Amino acid sequence: MNAIKSPKDQKKVLDKITFDLTRPIVKRDELTRFWFFLLIMFVIVGLWGWIIQIDRGLGVTGMRDYVSWGMYIANFVFFVAVSLIGFLISSALHLLKISWGKAVSRVAEQIAIAAVALAGVIIVMDMGRPDRFLNIFFHGRFASPIIWDVSVVVTYLTISVLLFYLPLIPDLAMLRDKEDLGIPKWKRRLYKTLSLGWKGNAAQFKTLYHAMRVLMLLIIPVGLSIHTVTSWLFASTLRSGWDTTILGPYFVAGAFVAGASAVIILMYVYRLRYGLKEYFKDYHFDQMGKLLVFVCLVYLYFNINEFLVPGYKMKTAEGIHLIELFKGGYSSMFWLVQVVGLVLPIVLIVFKFFRKPLPLTIISAVVLVAAWFKRYLIVIPTLEHPFLPVQNVPEHFQHYAPTSIEITITLFAFVAALAIISILAKLFPVIAIWELAEEKGIDINQLTEEPKIN
Amino acid sequence: MRNLIRYIFITLLVFSFLNSNSQEWVVADDIASIQNPSPYTLQNVNKGKELYLKNCKSCHGDAGKNNALPLVPIPPDVTSAQMHANSEGALFHKITAGRGTMPQFETSISEDDRWRIVNYIMNFNPANEPLLVDAPKINAKLLGSVNEAEKKVEVLAEFQDKDGIYKKLANTPVFINSKKTFGKIKIGQATTDENGRAVYQIPETVVGDAEGKIDIIISMEDNYTVNELLLENAKVCAPNVAENLFDEAVLWGTNDRLQPWLLVSYLAIAVGAWLAIFYVVFQIVKIKRLGKE
Ligand code: HEC
Repeated sequence: MNAIKSPKDQKKVLDKITFDLTRPIVKRDELTRFWFFLLIMFVIVGLWGWIIQIDRGLGVTGMRDYVSWGMYIANFVFFVAVSLIGFLISSALHLLKISWGKAVSRVAEQIAIAAVALAGVIIVMDMGRPDRFLNIFFHGRFASPIIWDVSVVVTYLTISVLLFYLPLIPDLAMLRDKEDLGIPKWKRRLYKTLSLGWKGNAAQFKTLYHAMRVLMLLIIPVGLSIHTVTSWLFASTLRSGWDTTILGPYFVAGAFVAGASAVIILMYVYRLRYGLKEYFKDYHFDQMGKLLVFVCLVYLYFNINEFLVPGYKMKTAEGIHLIELFKGGYSSMFWLVQVVGLVLPIVLIVFKFFRKPLPLTIISAVVLVAAWFKRYLIVIPTLEHPFLPVQNVPEHFQHYAPTSIEITITLFAFVAALAIISILAKLFPVIAIWELAEEKGIDINQLTEEPKIN
Repeated sequence: MRNLIRYIFITLLVFSFLNSNSQEWVVADDIASIQNPSPYTLQNVNKGKELYLKNCKSCHGDAGKNNALPLVPIPPDVTSAQMHANSEGALFHKITAGRGTMPQFETSISEDDRWRIVNYIMNFNPANEPLLVDAPKINAKLLGSVNEAEKKVEVLAEFQDKDGIYKKLANTPVFINSKKTFGKIKIGQATTDENGRAVYQIPETVVGDAEGKIDIIISMEDNYTVNELLLENAKVCAPNVAENLFDEAVLWGTNDRLQPWLLVSYLAIAVGAWLAIFYVVFQIVKIKRLGKE
């Protein structure tokens, strides 16, 4: 980016950026209202489903003695997976000094916050007696992966929120002072509180950079742990399909696939809806496409390990499980997920054409849906083969199919995640204005009315 | 032509008949005609009854009460005509093989015992003289004590005669059971002498708790109305010295058997991460302070 020299030009560019990026915050049209109306409707329906479930117990779900983890846990794993992209983009890319990542890092953080928050919620929804969640604190066992998982989810959520908030401060300070943008008063009042009296002096910037750096370093082990520990919930059992040593990295790799595709879709939505073509450029899609193909390849590598090696040996129990996936009742889902959801996207995105915004978004949507089904395939088929004598139990204990209540509650989780993202997008700029300005060589400090301190 | 129509008509009739009876459970003749090798004696019928109560009653209900579970099709009562339309061989086959909701018992009940269950069902066959007769119940009373030194249980049984007077109950079995969380398990039985007394030697193979104690319940046959006698904390058994698998500190242990390294690692990581978070929060406070300068 060639630096813009004259302060006047700089100011002009900055004003334009600020104007463009605050449109989502200002915009209040029919479509927005309708969208929020839809979200609220679905959230209400979902909560109603949850009330029924609390009232009548988990019997209203398809879960029984053998398959005791159903769609909810698949959702949980999916949400944790998607949230991991926050750490990859806003920390790893940042620390590697890959500059295009800055433009998408707030999008990634939005997704991370929404997804990890809902991961926590869906776990509580999976409990017949949600009040017993507190037992984790009263009777939790330190040796249990469940405790580790709860700890790491809470920690990751906190870090994600902070990592979303910190880079927001300079932007908020700038928007708080601008009256000509048409930002509603209450939002500006909110900015005023949240911007902590930011003046943009050197000492503040130094502290901000320092804090962000600490978080970015911290989120790497925490981010890796969150999905590794989630995988241990499975891998620390003896069940075929879960009893494997590579489940941790396998989950992490799969998580990047799901998260990267989610980021691409959201970028595209913002670009289209808010006319941000100049900010989410074709270049960014191209780079995200390359990232997606890279993580897909890593995931493919793990998939080959995960299925080829046990498939070669076909140990008794493992064999039954694998045959069920390869040729049995789950084979169509399995092969669709592997071929259409993984191999085909890799083959396509390698070509530049498919890294253009629209084709890439469509491919990402397919990948994301496949990622959800992949989680379903990880959780349920294994449970349907408990390798215990399944005797004298009703037929429907042996197979699992989600009920309409489960589907309603699942829908709730997704809609609630979308609602969180929508609210964040309506409250705060979707790209860090000051980082963008900095990238363009504009010195915000010089342009603010404050006397220079540095 | 006329013949042809008649032929078609008859065929249709036969088919519809077969269809309407597709629910019926037919057993091949050679299987149905197998004779029951287990003789029809009170002992076999009783054994069959015991097995029935344990394995079948939950679905088929009590004999003669028509209180089967409402399954589809409804499991027939053991006294029903439908049940007794079966030959003994057919009954045996159906119990062995099962169909639909009716489970198979080939793998869980031995062949001899399956025949004894047939003996029991045949007790209700109108063609047979019933061996199980429902006599009116007799009131009885049990007294008992534990001889811990000799590891014996001594029982005194009495019954109430027509005039309401308690008399010694001779030549009657009493059952010695061990009390369990969900009911009792029979250890053995003894028969009373002419004085109504019975002595039961607890076998050495019976294992109690860590101190060798068990809770003994003394009970009687179904045809007596009796308050079962509970003798608690009887130290008559071998102590249970089985190694407790949970004693050792293992990776997946409970909190009181946690491996220290695990606790230390967990706390170090969790506390470390949260200290860093608090540090960042502190930086945020600092930013605010710097803004005021
Ligand atoms: C899980 C419930 C269940 C249990 C336990 C069960 N049954 Fe059944 N039984 C059924 C049902 C239902 C049918 C009707 C099956 C049919 O007609 O398809 C049936 C049918 C039968 C029949 C055939 C009756 C006829 O129509 O000819 C016999 C005999 C029988 N049961 C005996 C037994 C015995 C003996 C046991 C225990 C060892 C037993 N059942 C345990 C449910 C049960």
